[in-house]
Amino acid sequence: MPGTTWLAKLRAGLAACGLLAVAACGGATSDDGGPVKVSVWAWYPEFKGVVEAFNASHKDIQVEWTNVGTGPDQYAKLKTAFTAGKGAPDVAMVEFQQIPTFIILDALVDMGPHGANEDKDLYAEWAWSQATDGEKVYAIPVDGGPMALMYRKDLFDQHAIPVPTTWAEYADAAAKIKAADPEGHIASFGSDGGWINGLMWQSGCRPYGYSQATAKDQVKINLTAPECKRVFDLYGDLVEKGLMAKDPFFTADATAALDSGKYWTWAAAGWTPGYVAGSLKNTAGKWAVAPMPQWTAGADEQGDWGGSTFTVTKQAKNPAAATTVARELFGKSKAAWDIGLNKAFLYPLVKDVAADPAFTGKAYEFFNGQKVNEIFVPVSEKLGEFQYTPFQDFVFGELNDRSAEAMSGSRSWDSVLEETQKNVVAYAEQQGFKVSK
Amino acid sequence: MTRSAPITAPAPADSPPGRPAESRSRRRSRRVTAHPVAGALFVLPFFLVVVAFLIVPLGYAFWLSLSSKSLATGVKFSGLDNYVRAFTDPLLLDGLLRVVLFGLVQIPIMLGIALAGALVLDAVTTKFALAFRLIAFMPYAVPAVVGALMWGFLYSRTFGPFADLPTLVGGEPIDFFSVSLLLLSLGNIVTWAWTGYNMIILYSALQGVPREMYEAAVIDGATPVQIALRVKVPAIKQAISLAAIFTVIGTMQFFTEPAIMARFAPQISAGYTPNLYAYNQAFAYSDFHYSAAVSFALGFLVFVVAYLFVFVNRRRGARA
Repeated sequence: MPGTTWLAKLRAGLAACGLLAVAACGGATSDDGGPVKVSVWAWYPEFKGVVEAFNASHKDIQVEWTNVGTGPDQYAKLKTAFTAGKGAPDVAMVEFQQIPTFIILDALVDMGPHGANEDKDLYAEWAWSQATDGEKVYAIPVDGGPMALMYRKDLFDQHAIPVPTTWAEYADAAAKIKAADPEGHIASFGSDGGWINGLMWQSGCRPYGYSQATAKDQVKINLTAPECKRVFDLYGDLVEKGLMAKDPFFTADATAALDSGKYWTWAAAGWTPGYVAGSLKNTAGKWAVAPMPQWTAGADEQGDWGGSTFTVTKQAKNPAAATTVARELFGKSKAAWDIGLNKAFLYPLVKDVAADPAFTGKAYEFFNGQKVNEIFVPVSEKLGEFQYTPFQDFVFGELNDRSAEAMSGSRSWDSVLEETQKNVVAYAEQQGFKVSK
Repeated sequence: MTRSAPITAPAPADSPPGRPAESRSRRRSRRVTAHPVAGALFVLPFFLVVVAFLIVPLGYAFWLSLSSKSLATGVKFSGLDNYVRAFTDPLLLDGLLRVVLFGLVQIPIMLGIALAGALVLDAVTTKFALAFRLIAFMPYAVPAVVGALMWGFLYSRTFGPFADLPTLVGGEPIDFFSVSLLLLSLGNIVTWAWTGYNMIILYSALQGVPREMYEAAVIDGATPVQIALRVKVPAIKQAISLAAIFTVIGTMQFFTEPAIMARFAPQISAGYTPNLYAYNQAFAYSDFHYSAAVSFALGFLVFVVAYLFVFVNRRRGARA
């Protein structure tokens, strides 16, 4: 898409000129003794204010921010730039599941030598372990997506259906919902790789293992463990019985279904309240959040869906300054988190911010005054180690495509993970990895 | 669908095939040798553009396709290994089979409608025909991405007017994104977007047919339908095969509609069409080398199919 790139550049230039009225637009280094300019690609909502806050509080470093697209769109541009050897920004927003992918592309700077290891205790443990490989710091965590169950409290109360605390109860509730309202579904199976991954994580499934520092060419793939399979057994059964809908997430249909009483629950993430509050106008105030149903009664297993970090790219002209930007755009900045929490509705991975009563005690109108972070914060604290493969795009794509086949009836739910395992192992071997289970 | 606009106008229907053209070109070449410098200068701007934007990128892509990149071990020269992999890659072959099936159904339907429309337009000369021509052409002016998004909403169960139609008579709502209907839904979008375009190509070719032929047919006692099928259609055969070949090439490169529609229909997998597969190999899996090989293999197939098509057409034309 040459046209898009050209436009993006133009936009980057315009944005930089707009933000830095004093400094000259153009050059990215500071031979003239002016501030070091660091380019940043990110797609956080309300990010302009965060950049302005950083620039106001830093005299020697100024951020030039561009939004080149969300998720896959930005990654496509990054991968092209890394292949081309130029064109990448100094600092790039990257989601957790993508970090090993960019590490193996030799795209990320180890921020350890620039002092990033000092931040270790600042962040939720699981996030720091995903952002680092031993002492090598490849990413600075920003936001996460601890999962919990959003549900229509009014409908559950009205039909006296107990809020499920285990997945077995969840299946019972699904049947009761269908009995109460033939048009209703307990939820939709969105065939979203990241969401399915979160459900598997919550089930105690740890399908991947990779560490570039220990063994660059070895990867663990085990998608057929019982903890992984039971997720597909449960959801496949609900879909086959017609108790669960099949709309992909984030489409107009799915949003309308959430807002019309067609879906009664959504196993959602810490960022979801902010995401949905704006688009679910009819049902605002009728939702509530409960902890995720458990596979074993009384257990406390948790999962995460989504979350992102800042990375410094190998093309950064001044890696030390870029590291400072990655660490301090959010980091301990109160001004940035004010925007992040109250306008962008990020779930903070900075422990102090998440534990702040201003966050945990915040009552959400959308949830009829419920302080939902009292549920999300303990989930994030409980999240354990979870690793990704260095080709997670392929794995999520496979999970997505094979579940879509199962949903359309052209594949048995039973075979989704086996087929995914087979294809992923074949791909990994073709890419030169030694695969273990 | 990415389709190159025709660079040349449809060949005049009355240009005689075969030998006369050859003798003309021989005469032309003698004239060129008389002014070699002037000729070269005329060609130069176009030649430079072709080299810079076609030959060099193609060469670079071909060079890329001759080495392999594996994530764990890096890049190494691999000769034609990528092509062996491409032609045995089940995902790519599935996608290829899918677009071929798609084309076998969609192309005849679309060109049939376009031809019928062009014949009607040619026969009717009222103000209505002018308006109809404009309206039929309009979808072509809508960018493919916008068109695909628009149809995505029209197909939607919540917002679209069509999905709930069967419920009026007590049936089940239609799921346009289900596996069984997905190709039809995509085919409908393509037909909507391209029928008018092809209709205009065929219509302009019909305008070039000498009217005397119709008069002769009328005198011979031909009915309007006979004139359309026995006189007009054979007269614009070259324009029809031109439209067909553009459509075949466009179908092999099917990309935009499925790429956009994937947001509505998760059944559209990473290898749904060969072009989508090449895109994902490069920009999702960072394998530009294999992506280049897939693109080249696809380009080669398109070339073969297009050539065969022209060859068969010529043969048939020569025999007729």
